[in-house]
Amino acid sequence: MVVIQTEPFDVAALIARLQDRGAGRAGAQVHFLGTVRDYSPEAGSRSLFLDHYPGMCEREIQSLCNRAMQRWDILDTLVVHRVGELPLGDPIVFVGVASAHRGEAFRACEYIIDTLKTRAPFWKRETLADGQAFWVRQQHADALKTEQWNTDPNRDHES
Amino acid sequence: MSGATIEVLYFAQVAEHLGTRQETQALDAPVQAGAWLDALAARCPALGPAARLKLAINQEHAGRQDMIRPGDEVAVFEPVTGG
Repeated sequence: MVVIQTEPFDVAALIARLQDRGAGRAGAQVHFLGTVRDYSPEAGSRSLFLDHYPGMCEREIQSLCNRAMQRWDILDTLVVHRVGELPLGDPIVFVGVASAHRGEAFRACEYIIDTLKTRAPFWKRETLADGQAFWVRQQHADALKTEQWNTDPNRDHES
Repeated sequence: MSGATIEVLYFAQVAEHLGTRQETQALDAPVQAGAWLDALAARCPALGPAARLKLAINQEHAGRQDMIRPGDEVAVFEPVTGG
């Protein structure tokens, strides 16, 4: 399940929802929570604005979750991503994966957040304390992580 | 005259540079995405080199070799920064 929303989310409620959807089959949940950080610490950040492509965001993230379901033995996924104006420290994204055992869920959760960062059509604009605003650039390290998931078959298994 | 068009969506800094988030363009015949992006970049130098721009056709990531066809929804944007 994929949800895009402007309002804050309650992590405890999302965990409970994932547990309910598992109907007793899930023995493990793995979660990733992303929060608004300061992208230019030397200048001081005030807030973050997220632009997005409605429709394509949901489709793209769902497609990444479907790929994770095929690649690992997991039961369910839940992704919530916020858009609009977000203050420093606020949660931006929640990725939850439910499975019978933890190993597969850890890998699937990391895969979903890594690939979301380079595939899902969101764009961050940071506003500094002095009012100056700029669009955040995609990190080369993020692109490399997605590339590794596509090229390294060893990442599928327990090592 | 032909009524064939495409719907073009712009996001984030691309939308800021072009001063709009959406426009309808006439398109009578399929065109390669790379050539179409080059023409857009030439129209608005502030966008920078076309090679930096990403596009989606009908809400799927697309490359410069893909074809844009009449009736398509085309989106242009810089590399994404969600998560």
